[in-house]
Amino acid sequence: MRHTQEHTVTALVHNEHGTLNRMISLFRRRGFSLSSLAVGDCEEPGLSRMSIVVNADDNMLRQCVMQLEKAVDVVSVESLDGKEYVHRELAFIQVEAPPEKRSEIIDISRVLNCEIVHLGLKTMTVQVVANARKIQGLIRLLEPYGIKKIVRSGTVAMSAEE
Amino acid sequence: MQSEQTVAPRSGAQIVMEALALHGVDIIFGYPGGVVLPLYDEMTRWPAIQHVLVRHEQCAAHMADGYARSTAKVGVCLATSGPGATNLVTGIATAIMDSIPMVAITGQVNSWAVGTDAFQETDIQGITIPITKHNYLVMDVDDLPHALVEAFHLANTGRKGPVLVDIPKDVFTAMSSVPFPTEIVRRGYRASAATNDTAVEAAAKLVAEAKKPVIIAGAGVVWSETNQALAELAEKADLPIINSLLGLGSIDRQNERSLGMMGMHGEAVGTLAVQEADLLIGIGIRFDDRLTGKVAGFAPNAKIIHFDLDPSEFAKVVETTLCVPGDLSETLPAFTAAVQPKVNEEWWAKLRGWQQEFPLVVPDSTGLMARHVLQMLDRTTNSDAIISTDVGQHQMWTAQLYRFKRPFQWLSSGGLGTMGFGFPAAMGAAFANPKQEVWAVVGDGGFQMTLQELQTAVEHKLNVKICLVNNGYLGMVRQWQELFFENRYSHVEMGSPDFGKLAEAYGVTFFRCSTREDLENTFEQARAADGPVLVEFLVEMEENVFPMVPAGKANDQVQMDPGLPKDKAPMGIPA
Repeated sequence: MRHTQEHTVTALVHNEHGTLNRMISLFRRRGFSLSSLAVGDCEEPGLSRMSIVVNADDNMLRQCVMQLEKAVDVVSVESLDGKEYVHRELAFIQVEAPPEKRSEIIDISRVLNCEIVHLGLKTMTVQVVANARKIQGLIRLLEPYGIKKIVRSGTVAMSAEE
Repeated sequence: MQSEQTVAPRSGAQIVMEALALHGVDIIFGYPGGVVLPLYDEMTRWPAIQHVLVRHEQCAAHMADGYARSTAKVGVCLATSGPGATNLVTGIATAIMDSIPMVAITGQVNSWAVGTDAFQETDIQGITIPITKHNYLVMDVDDLPHALVEAFHLANTGRKGPVLVDIPKDVFTAMSSVPFPTEIVRRGYRASAATNDTAVEAAAKLVAEAKKPVIIAGAGVVWSETNQALAELAEKADLPIINSLLGLGSIDRQNERSLGMMGMHGEAVGTLAVQEADLLIGIGIRFDDRLTGKVAGFAPNAKIIHFDLDPSEFAKVVETTLCVPGDLSETLPAFTAAVQPKVNEEWWAKLRGWQQEFPLVVPDSTGLMARHVLQMLDRTTNSDAIISTDVGQHQMWTAQLYRFKRPFQWLSSGGLGTMGFGFPAAMGAAFANPKQEVWAVVGDGGFQMTLQELQTAVEHKLNVKICLVNNGYLGMVRQWQELFFENRYSHVEMGSPDFGKLAEAYGVTFFRCSTREDLENTFEQARAADGPVLVEFLVEMEENVFPMVPAGKANDQVQMDPGLPKDKAPMGIPA
């Protein structure tokens, strides 16, 4: 059994017709296991930056980085392993919240620095911006109230520089 | 990057033809259809660019491929949308696996209809993403000049490969004043990894220390045209050269240091040499599984040096001691300069011993065998013809017995293993090399996949000769069923039409040979004939290719030819 773990890689890519499709195809075809992918505009028009979390052993990670670098769409790749970097993910968690439970949920949210972004008659939506582990923790805490929906943005990451 | 300058407005169709002219394209292989009508209309005004009308788009791609493999230039194929485009797919996949420079142009439905499931619409860009180096759907005619120039640039630089440009019908008719870019600067595109002098010197040091060194030279040497540097390297450091299947031609087979092909059906000496080597130098190869066998047992005693321009090949399959990145046209001469002259006398004595002990067997039987045919093909053409093959037994026998002299002489689908490739690829080569002798070696199975192109060959009076090795079976599959499925033959008997009548119907010169006595004479007659020639050789039905490393086994499990004298035909490598 290969020892795999999550690795974070960012890729600066040309924002062209088919780019995202090609990148996803590369991961699928080569059997790289994608835990998270987030893509958006970056500091340069015409380019996008992808944050990729891949579940791989060392050899697969090296292959993954080299295959990305080879792709004609890709301008540059940065593997964040062993580097200092910041990373966050945003999630909305919609939870059942009858009036008598609201204050408990608000307490949990406050302790964990989360924000209530919507309050309905029967539900509340909690926004959390954190690392994946902390989001998982919040989900566990909210489960007893009855989770209706979760949506997650995928991790965005950036190397920390001076 | 797009300049402010403009040129006189011209249509998208004209831009395509201008781009072809700009890149020196003198021939394209294609098939018309609804959405490419504007381009076919424009073509009538470009007599200097020959269009070959194929009978199936797959063969347009294979012909472009054969053109590229025999000239080192970019091959161009063209198809309409939908089924025309999807018919190219096998040919494009064949090209990417062997890193062949190709530009495929496809028509697409009108840009405003894309995504509506319009008549003959298919998402060819999406379909070809995994099998192209890059591809484009050009929705705006102003983007077309750049896309086409970039397509040629990408196809023909670095590790080469097919690039597809999909063009909607209304983009062919729309007008644009945007000029062609004078150079392509694509950020992040690295044609080749940067060279590394330290690595080259370290490699030279390993050569000095080695007692049993071998080179495996691959298609990278062919495409970088560094065959001369390779020969000098081998001579200077007294190194044996083994070839991968597609590396054939990177060294003259009759060079004393050439040991022929290794791999699943490689010559025994190569397999034995790699098993025993203490240093293996892979040059422009990708350690394909048909070469390595079971990786855990590959080159068990060797340090491995890997020269390649594509760093993603490093450690992809085998762990290496040293990687030497960079274009071989830079690294190989530098390596040759850096190695110290040396003599590997003891090692060569051992290699020569293996060559004598386990030669390729061409039986002296009375009946006509495929190996007789292919050995005669080599002799009668003085090892000098351009040879294309299909896939299977005949391909392996050709690789074993034809003594290729130079790069771009050997066209075979190594990576994808595409049956039906041989004949159209030979045609592409014949169009490109009208003065050279071009032979397609095919089996009765593969030939029946693409023989409709006989008509195309006749129309162009093309000098292409077909060596049809007919054994009435899908021979390689039959061989596996014999060896690994206890002779249970399942759907491998291959019925064929009367090829003589077929040739007559097409108007192709035909010869048939079924005896060894007639072999030489038949070849001489076929060689003397002009235009397309079909020669059918009726050979023994159940001939097997040896040596053979069974799939999934390590190379030390090589099965020698049972046709060797009994005391010299062990199963497995002698201790």
